[in-house]
Amino acid sequence: MTNALRLNSVSKSFGGFKALDAVDFSVAAGEVHALLGENGAGKSTLMNIACGLYAPDDGQIEMGGQPVTIAGARDAAAKGIGMVHQHFKLVPAFTVLENILLFNPGRPAEQVAQQALTLAQKIGFDIDLGTPAGALGISEQQRLEILKVLVAGARIVILDEPTAVLSEEDGQALMQLVRGLADTGSAVILVTHKLHEALYHSDRITVMRQGRKIAEARPGDMDPARLTELIVGEHIVEEPEPSPHVGGTRIRLDKVRMRGDRGRKGLVDVSFEVKDGEIYGIAGVSGNGQTELAEILMGLGRPDAGTIEIAGHGDVTHAGPAHRRRNGLACIPVDRYRHGLAGGITVADNYAINGALAGRYGNWLWFNRRRARSEARDAIRTFDVQGVRNLGQKAALLSGGNAQKLVIAREFEGQPDVVLAHSPSRGLDVRAGAAVHDRLRAARDRGAAVILISEDLDEVMLLSDRIGVLAGGRLSAEFKAPANRPEIGAAMVSHE
Amino acid sequence: MSDFLVNWLINIPSFAAPFAIAALGLIITERAGVLNLAAEGLMLAGALAGVGLMINGAPPMVALGGAAMAGMAMGLVFAIMTAGLRINHVISGLALVFFAEALTSYIASAERWTNKAIQGLEPVFLGQDVIVYATPVLCLLTVWMLNRTRFGLTLRAVGENPGAADAAGIDVTATRFAAILIGAALIGLAGGYLTVAVSRIWVDSVIGGRGWIAIALVIFARWHPWRALFGAVLFGCIEALIPRIAAAGVDVPRYFLQMTPYLATLAVMIWAAARGKDRWSQPAALGHHHIREERG
Amino acid sequence: MTQTILPPGAANPAPRNRLRLVPILEPRQSVPDRLRLTIYVASLLLATLISVALLAGAGVPPGDLAKEIATTVFSSPRALGSVLALTAPLVVAGLATAIAFRANFWNIGLEGQMILGAVLSSYVAIHDIGPEFARLPLMAAAAALGGMIWIACPGWLKLKLGVNEVITTLLLNYVAFNLLLHLLYGPWKDPVSSFPYTEQYEAFEKLPLLGWMTLTWALPLAGILALALWWVYSFSRLGFLIDLMRSNATMARAVGVPVLGLSVASILASGAVGGLTGFAISSGIEGRMTQDFFVGYLFSGVLIAFLGRNHPLGVIVVAFFMAVLMQLGQSLQVFFGVPSALVQLVQAVFIICVAASEFFLTYRMNWRSAA
Repeated sequence: MTNALRLNSVSKSFGGFKALDAVDFSVAAGEVHALLGENGAGKSTLMNIACGLYAPDDGQIEMGGQPVTIAGARDAAAKGIGMVHQHFKLVPAFTVLENILLFNPGRPAEQVAQQALTLAQKIGFDIDLGTPAGALGISEQQRLEILKVLVAGARIVILDEPTAVLSEEDGQALMQLVRGLADTGSAVILVTHKLHEALYHSDRITVMRQGRKIAEARPGDMDPARLTELIVGEHIVEEPEPSPHVGGTRIRLDKVRMRGDRGRKGLVDVSFEVKDGEIYGIAGVSGNGQTELAEILMGLGRPDAGTIEIAGHGDVTHAGPAHRRRNGLACIPVDRYRHGLAGGITVADNYAINGALAGRYGNWLWFNRRRARSEARDAIRTFDVQGVRNLGQKAALLSGGNAQKLVIAREFEGQPDVVLAHSPSRGLDVRAGAAVHDRLRAARDRGAAVILISEDLDEVMLLSDRIGVLAGGRLSAEFKAPANRPEIGAAMVSHE
Repeated sequence: MSDFLVNWLINIPSFAAPFAIAALGLIITERAGVLNLAAEGLMLAGALAGVGLMINGAPPMVALGGAAMAGMAMGLVFAIMTAGLRINHVISGLALVFFAEALTSYIASAERWTNKAIQGLEPVFLGQDVIVYATPVLCLLTVWMLNRTRFGLTLRAVGENPGAADAAGIDVTATRFAAILIGAALIGLAGGYLTVAVSRIWVDSVIGGRGWIAIALVIFARWHPWRALFGAVLFGCIEALIPRIAAAGVDVPRYFLQMTPYLATLAVMIWAAARGKDRWSQPAALGHHHIREERG
Repeated sequence: MTQTILPPGAANPAPRNRLRLVPILEPRQSVPDRLRLTIYVASLLLATLISVALLAGAGVPPGDLAKEIATTVFSSPRALGSVLALTAPLVVAGLATAIAFRANFWNIGLEGQMILGAVLSSYVAIHDIGPEFARLPLMAAAAALGGMIWIACPGWLKLKLGVNEVITTLLLNYVAFNLLLHLLYGPWKDPVSSFPYTEQYEAFEKLPLLGWMTLTWALPLAGILALALWWVYSFSRLGFLIDLMRSNATMARAVGVPVLGLSVASILASGAVGGLTGFAISSGIEGRMTQDFFVGYLFSGVLIAFLGRNHPLGVIVVAFFMAVLMQLGQSLQVFFGVPSALVQLVQAVFIICVAASEFFLTYRMNWRSAA
């Protein structure tokens, strides 16, 4: 079998950091090759070399047995390599056709449109070329991305974490599409961190860790446990742990209703309650009301109807964030660099925010920096935030896992009664994710009521004592742990 | 009364044309994602070049061409600052306006061009000059360029999502340079028109905030050329009315009358903001730099 | 792993991708303080060089320039005194701008706020409002109020409707200027000379002299204001929260920082100090309101805040140098016939050079082989 694309002993460094260390990788026509690894393992760097965005420091690229140089994205496209990025490279204000044209310079519009329609039909994609890309759903946007590279003549298709943003159902459909592509003779590289995709939908698996290739194997010779160990480099298995003690109701939402922004669904009569010493998981496909629910719980958004009560503090429906936080609410927001930390100020100052607002470091005209710093130093040690060379370092420099730990250190230092965690392990590696999970369990075991909103069903099932499913802005079903995965999956797609 | 109306109407086009041309230049720049607060400075450069060339004996059309070139030269400085060195667009714009104010005032006084009357651009038809007739054509060309050409597609992609443009192999920096230079030429032309055809004299404050008004006009027009043309006519009406009212002997304090263009601009901005809370029409990447993420 | 080693001159067309060197921009992860200082000083040096060249072009040889600087500032107590007298309003102007910039509000309306401040305090003076001993404080309060009134509209539009404040504050400068002209050519024309400026303030309506040269209380008061703001920004919870808001307003709101309140307070404070700038000139220097007392302060304020990195103490330092530059400009105008615009040109060169230096602080140029 000749390789469509072959990377020979490719190395790449970024300012002293060796992102790739002599990696071999190849893919053949008609094959789906899964590339597995954690964040920072070097998958993206390798693929960016394959599609011409980076030039390797060392090593060679071969196509069809001939050495080649790939000079930029245009050249890669001309050579038949197409990359579908994890974060879509679409112009929302452009129509579908304009997006395709942008990617296919120098060709008449009619011809491109004609070809696009033919290819769309071939991959089972029913699309109107005049629709603005921004009006498409996520899974349609992804198909448009694939269509874009196919129209450009891609015979080697690279998909970077393609199912990360899709529902289980759409993810399954995409895997079928991928197989269809391979069957028509394309070479497909599937970059993923989902084990089952690699095990059930690929022909070959390559595992990377810390810039090196760790293993290459057939899916038949692998099992999930072995694969995890290869990816992480050690044996980390998290098991569900039921709550030791569930107390009385701590927070109660009653028929909460909110209009959604910009065509989103919002919330429709959402009611649930969470008890002390309980983790209440909220499962659902992204975009079904999670953002609105988190905003309402944080006090950033106001519901149009319904009430929120916190035991001991009464009705807080219309209370702002400051009031709620004084009443024992802590939040781990979904986007830690946007909502959790202020990147431009120091690590110590980021930690000191809560204390400052609570008046612990003096009144409005005085800020006891010395005390704030010493408390920050202690908390950083207690919560094992690494990568802090000094307290005056800017928070933006922390890695994802350590940034999250800093957020948790700040939020948990006041022993909150209610914890809201929104996708707390998104983007973290397995070890950092497990550390975050440990903190959430510890808060629960201490007696806090924890609300976990996550689009990662595995995470919800692992941590939760009870699970509510958010679909179309409604709480469509509620389950007690241990729950049945297919039943939850079914509830997630109901109520369209 | 009919005298008043005729006098008013005949003067509207030459007041509207510089607003319209400057707005077109701003639209081209901003549709590529560059927040252009430098308009006042670019117009000053064009205005001075126009006067300088006229004083040195150039025919009006050559002076206007020179004004466009001067705008472009000043635009190059702005392009280097924003697209090249990725300086904050607000700081770049302000710094350029200050720089242009100082430079034009310096050159004008060093060359003794201040307060020297020039011949000016003559009307060709119905009391209007060539540039007035060229304005709708320029508008048409801008619309065609933005919506019907490959360059327009590229330019808009860079303004909406530079990351996507980059992934499609487009040189974001080069595109922005081009957009700024073309836009600056138009804005410089608008400035040159103000001195060569309207004021026919240079004083330091000759632009008098029209660059800022043009920026507001673009927001009002939601970055759309035809709507900008409409807005320019509206402002032309107001500006043309001011001297008419004074001439007609209506008793309104003179300086209050002179406030009206600025107050009207404010009103227009408030109106635009109040009705369009959704900013779907603003280029999504307006004012944002693009740096390809390079990480391991 | 072994590396593929190719024989020299192998027929392989592209063993390595060494096509051409292109600069790749990389955002810097961190900037050591020493590098920050080096780049800052280098940009100031470059600006100085360009300015000296510009002046040489305008007919001021560098040698004479150095002599002129020495005379302007150090030749006599009188020279130093007049530089310091110029420094006071510049400090206040820089502070007014810095307060707004620190709260992420681009206040480009300093001149309008100065005019309104001077107008309202002149109103108090002309109409003899309040007893004599309270006249000055009343005038100052009126000035602050005037500045606040003038910034309130752009502030409200920005916070409520998201209207770009650069344009609104700037447009209001023109409105304020026309208002000033209306007053000076109309009701407030000097009854004695019929010139377009207000009547001379009474002695008790002018800031009292310090007793050294021509210096008035404007200078120590400006200094006290700067120190007070230094305290607020460096040692108070208020300043801590304002910096937090500036760094990430979304996050500040989410953790319960009263973002709206802090923004309103900062914007109004900026306007108030802007109004006081007008007062400092009309009551501290000119003793009346003239039609061009504000000219050049908008740009100087932005420049001082920017070069002083919005830090109150930095503002003092830069304001002093700016005063030297202004004084220098005046004497160059007299002795070398250099146009007054040259001062602003030099200022613009400085702002562009320092702004450009940000680039080298934010990004690292990496020359590497690339496709």
